[in-house]
Amino acid sequence: MKIEKVKKAIVPLSKRERKRYILFEILNAEVAEKDFYFGFWIDLLSFFGSKGLAEINPKVVLFKGNKAIVKCQRGKENDLIAGTAFIEKIRNKKIIINPVLTSGTIKTLKEYAKIE
Amino acid sequence: MDIVYTQPLKELLQVSTYFKEQLIVLVENEKDEKVAKTNDLIPCYLIKDSTPEADISKLNSKKKAVVGGSVKANELAVRLKADYLLQPSSTKQFFDLGLALKLSANNTTVVLCFEELLKANSFERHQVWKNYLELVRYCKQKKVKFIVASATKDPLLLRPPKVREALAVLLGLPNDLAKEYLQEVVKEK
Repeated sequence: MKIEKVKKAIVPLSKRERKRYILFEILNAEVAEKDFYFGFWIDLLSFFGSKGLAEINPKVVLFKGNKAIVKCQRGKENDLIAGTAFIEKIRNKKIIINPVLTSGTIKTLKEYAKIE
Repeated sequence: MDIVYTQPLKELLQVSTYFKEQLIVLVENEKDEKVAKTNDLIPCYLIKDSTPEADISKLNSKKKAVVGGSVKANELAVRLKADYLLQPSSTKQFFDLGLALKLSANNTTVVLCFEELLKANSFERHQVWKNYLELVRYCKQKKVKFIVASATKDPLLLRPPKVREALAVLLGLPNDLAKEYLQEVVKEK
């Protein structure tokens, strides 16, 4: 049997789901990108559960130094910020995650954080 | 405004100044009060069920906080006209509309101590969170102030005001009220 590859239809820009980007600052300890992604995910999952986290749909878009840009669904940014309160440790390093700025574009956050 | 326990203040101060927030320190004796005052912080006396009446009567003109969680403790906060009622709900619910009405008349602020919530296991956290949802609903109805505070001795358990504001909103408090209550400037009595 021959499997035919079906091209996915491209969703027009105007019909795509809206998103928000949040700039986070990691205080106290230096954390590797992988550890941050894992620690971030685990603590949010324990607080919101699978359904809640799927609705928020957070994704670490960029991680540089002690700053991270996380993408989420529009309207759920408040939930994501609240959830970061429960992230106490990553790899046994005590950290504080400080939400700095929320924006609709990465560009604004990059300019604000001076990330290239 | 964030509420913390007394010692060590030096590190707590460093982190809180980074977040640009006013700190209220919970003290249990005059020595701690002096330490708080020398650091330009607002002291607030922590009163428990076990605190003797003689000691309570001395604190008439000072700021008072009561740790709730039981009917007796919640009623104590009403009787003392406490400024803050910490953790009014434990795994069981002891908060009702009648109490909210009394707290509103006394201008008492209800405080969810974040550190306590973090220490609880997931089952307890679920029960406390569920009770808090109800509590915030009562607070909204009777216009009782409700804030989320770090209430910690560990500087690394301090949470930024934005995060605590988001938690209050998640619990059901309107956005503007959550912001207003947290940004309120507290003056020493």
